[in-house]
Amino acid sequence: MSMTIQQAKEKHQAELMALPGVVSIGIGLSPEGKETIIIGLDGKHPATAEKLPKKLEGYKVVSQTTGTIKAQ
Amino acid sequence: MAEDIKPIQEVLHHVCNDLLKKHNVLATGIGYKTSAGQKSPNLSIICSVEKKLPKAQLSSKDLVPQQVDGVTTDVVESGRIRALNAHLLRHRPAPGGVSIGHRDITAGTLGCIVKKNGQRVILSNNHVLANSNAAQIGDAILQPGPHDGGKFPDDHIANLLEFIPISLSGGIDLPSDCPIGNSFASVLNLFAAATGSRTRLQAVRIQAEDNLVDAAIAKPLNDSDVSDDILDIGAIAGMTQGLLGMTIQKSGRTTEYTTGTIDQVDVTVNVQYGGGQIGRFTDQLLAGPMSQGGDSGSAVLDNDKNLVGLLFAGSDTTTIINRMENVFSALGLSL
Repeated sequence: MSMTIQQAKEKHQAELMALPGVVSIGIGLSPEGKETIIIGLDGKHPATAEKLPKKLEGYKVVSQTTGTIKAQ
Repeated sequence: MAEDIKPIQEVLHHVCNDLLKKHNVLATGIGYKTSAGQKSPNLSIICSVEKKLPKAQLSSKDLVPQQVDGVTTDVVESGRIRALNAHLLRHRPAPGGVSIGHRDITAGTLGCIVKKNGQRVILSNNHVLANSNAAQIGDAILQPGPHDGGKFPDDHIANLLEFIPISLSGGIDLPSDCPIGNSFASVLNLFAAATGSRTRLQAVRIQAEDNLVDAAIAKPLNDSDVSDDILDIGAIAGMTQGLLGMTIQKSGRTTEYTTGTIDQVDVTVNVQYGGGQIGRFTDQLLAGPMSQGGDSGSAVLDNDKNLVGLLFAGSDTTTIINRMENVFSALGLSL
């Protein structure tokens, strides 16, 4: 792959963060230990979930529900 | 010669379960009954209640009898009995992990003691020490925080020294839910119309800059009023970079000592600051749930007690942490 996962995330995060319900994008590990782009949603957003790519620049993308993230 | 306590212990052993079933009774024990402010010389069974009520307000089954099995009783008001959380109390010297706050907020956590220009200062969040940008430099910081009974001037421990302003936006998805923002924009637009300006302000979609840290420092009134230790953790060993999969620990006002794992790095995240205001943060660490409201400002350390980050936000399933190296470089700090 020509791009690092950080570069791939950087390139696409503005459009992804603009989707309704998306509250976070980070880099984590899949259960197999592979670097993965993880998108956090504040609740159920079927329309957004449908629009999320399965891969970005060859890197796997997964989404998870984080709930609303508040200053504590 | 003291009265033999043994027979009374046996009576209490038999009746304590019945007494504790009564509405309001929180504790039973053996002590000297107090009548008209005087301690009587005879041992009695003492029932502690949250609040003393007139007999008329209690059903007969909830009344504590004057005597049980020949032993006199007494009812004392103890208030609510809670497990003692040392993190909520006043500490001098105050270590990391305890309640603290700007005098106008509720309470957050004192992260740890760091150095600014060689002087020891308190590190926590902007929204804990600087009231989310609203404070003035020099404002009073209380330990414990106001919500935990901290009062000015008795609990005044430090003065706000410096904070990194947080760039907040009105939020992209909340354009019309913010009456204050809208009316403010309307007033300004009236001026804009009156002056013929073509640029109208909109309450919708105010673009804010990305943030790296929610951080502030306060200078203790007396150097001896703060401790370099963190409650439940101990002395800080050093500093290190947070890595994916790293096990971390923190000590905070609300959930006290907890541990977690860094599940995500390079995190870009939208954080709610109340009133529809959102701060976007980049280069954050994300861990599983290890904090709640009031834990903000906690120092996050690895297993070897090296500083890794500054906790400031979270949800039911996540905890969001500033990288400590970003906090140190933003505020010019050292250990």
